[in-house]
Amino acid sequence: MGNTLVAIIIGVLAIYLGYRFYARRIDRTVIQADKKRATPARLYMDGVDFMPTNRNVLFGYHFKSIAAAGPIVGAITAAALWGWVPSLIWLVLGVMFMGWVSDYSAIVVSVRNEGNSLSATAHRLIHPRTRRLLLLFIFFYLLLIAGAFGNIVAGTLTDPRVPLGIVALAVLGLAAGHMLYRMKMDLIPVTLIVVGGTLLAIFLNASATGPVATTFKNFNTWLNDLRPGGIVTVLNPLNPAGKQSVPITISFVFWLFFLFGFCYLGAILPIWRYAQPVNYIGFWITGLTVVFAGLGAFLAFFIKHDLSTFNIAGFTHFGGPASIRASGQIQPLWPMLFVTIACGAISGWHALIGSVGTARQIENEEDMLPVGGGAMFGEFTLGLLSLLAIAVAAKPGATPVASFAQGIGDFLNIFRVPLTYGTALGFAAFVVIVITVVQLVFRLMRVTLAEGLGDRSPIFKNIHVGTLVSMAATFLLVISGTWIYIWQLFGAANQLMAALSLLVVTVWLASTRRNPLYAGIPAVFMYVTTMAADLVILYNLYKIVLVKQWGVAGHEIAVIGSLVTIIIGLILFVAALFIGWDGYRAFQRYRERPVEPAPAPGGVTA
Amino acid sequence: MGTEQAQSPEPQPKRKRFLGAFGAARDVMYGMASHDMSRYAIRTRASMEHLFILITMGDLLGVPILPPYYSLRLLPYVVPQVSTWKRRMLRERDITDTLG
Repeated sequence: MGNTLVAIIIGVLAIYLGYRFYARRIDRTVIQADKKRATPARLYMDGVDFMPTNRNVLFGYHFKSIAAAGPIVGAITAAALWGWVPSLIWLVLGVMFMGWVSDYSAIVVSVRNEGNSLSATAHRLIHPRTRRLLLLFIFFYLLLIAGAFGNIVAGTLTDPRVPLGIVALAVLGLAAGHMLYRMKMDLIPVTLIVVGGTLLAIFLNASATGPVATTFKNFNTWLNDLRPGGIVTVLNPLNPAGKQSVPITISFVFWLFFLFGFCYLGAILPIWRYAQPVNYIGFWITGLTVVFAGLGAFLAFFIKHDLSTFNIAGFTHFGGPASIRASGQIQPLWPMLFVTIACGAISGWHALIGSVGTARQIENEEDMLPVGGGAMFGEFTLGLLSLLAIAVAAKPGATPVASFAQGIGDFLNIFRVPLTYGTALGFAAFVVIVITVVQLVFRLMRVTLAEGLGDRSPIFKNIHVGTLVSMAATFLLVISGTWIYIWQLFGAANQLMAALSLLVVTVWLASTRRNPLYAGIPAVFMYVTTMAADLVILYNLYKIVLVKQWGVAGHEIAVIGSLVTIIIGLILFVAALFIGWDGYRAFQRYRERPVEPAPAPGGVTA
Repeated sequence: MGTEQAQSPEPQPKRKRFLGAFGAARDVMYGMASHDMSRYAIRTRASMEHLFILITMGDLLGVPILPPYYSLRLLPYVVPQVSTWKRRMLRERDITDTLG
């Protein structure tokens, strides 16, 4: 039986050993970071995109940019499927040998290539079509993020203890933008007003029997009574056999549209008006919750020993829990664990952000490791905290998000925060961290549609059309009902993106006569694993969702949704095959004829 | 000052270390909370300034409609950082650049 202290000690050791002995060695001997070499931020300083920035500021910026819902949802889902032991092992080994490599190396390649993005570097080093394929890949990747996160947020908002804080976040986000940029108020009073207001709304809605939660409960019941069978019936493969047909309720659809409304504002309004203030409030809500919950998880062993003990199985079965195996679907630990837990161990999203945002602000090369690698180890702690929260608080019948919120409430209770308020903060932190990502994703999808289709169909240049088309596609994915497969497909796309970024890094290392193994081995492992996972997901979607629902009355939309998901999975698979093949050929080409002379042996520091 | 140092040689480096750690924590907080907002504001201001200068350049010189040839010849004097501006404008971008 595990406990929080043991898991935290393992986590701290992983960070220390991984950073101190492996990451630093690679930085010194393979990359040979040199603080005297001019970085793009110094070379091309324009005061805007290229701007030398203090390493501590940049660490905070990079961490905030990469920390999203991935490590939280992935850890709590995987722990429920295979147990906490394999989840912990993958988190630890993943971040030690692959996670930091991906984040750090994406920054290195960009810094050493004039601040170019990964896709631009791939275009130059691998093949021109690699860039086009990557951009196609990215659009569907964004769609899967929206589908996976949208589903889980809408489901969480149907809990009557949650909505008021999120409504307040939207209203106060607008107010914060107005106060800061129109009324020119000082940041501190604005922070006190908007963060205080959001916290107040969260606490007012905290009690399940309180007036606010009761009102939301009655409202949801009223909505569901309008059409008791729901708007459509879908199949939930996580439910036990015989109980897999579930209705998509009207209250779920209502909160899904609320989410779309929230994100619509984020996608079409100027960033300063809504998206940034919402992110700013969200930072305080999630930051405070995560820091105190993390401290609580550590102190729990000494203060409330029973609270630190894990309540879930260490290991269920290689094929997942019995109910999953009985339903006929396949969920083998390899490769599925490695795509279910995405961002806490390794993530392609980080590489994208790092190459275009962080790399262009690196002041000197010695900052690349503490910023890129350090932030990834920081995100690992977020994944670890999520795993601890669900491990101590999981109860039969509770959803993973409810267990996570309960676990956060338990950890905050160490500091005498009432359990009801702590749990409400857990819910709020979860929804806030997800919703801020989803609004960014819709904004990016709108831009991608305008870039990709705007020349052929000018209507896609219209911001409303681009946003609404993105939301319609997301809606179809969400109401197909198979959240677990969409989540895993998102994880596969995310990890595949990490594999492809590592592939670009490996090719660059070969082209500069550096030892490519530290990036090449993780690239191959992640590539093979995620391609295999993609095939497993496609099999499950076909065998469990499509075949079982084909021709069944009332399941038509679920069938269309799963067909769309299968097509997306196939597109990602084929695109990755081409990129992998081109990458392999480029690697062979550069191994025979590197473009740069070999670096001096022994590194630049003694 | 000298007497204080003789009495307690330790506090100075300790205090320096504490201030250093406090400053680092403050920087990290700023990076997480506001750096993105500052960057966006700087980016907006830079674009607006460039646009404004280019629009008003003719009037500033007393030539309302300036022939393009002279506009381009005078541009480096009107926009001192024209090389960085040119690099910004001409840098090839794709969708991933909007993430930064």
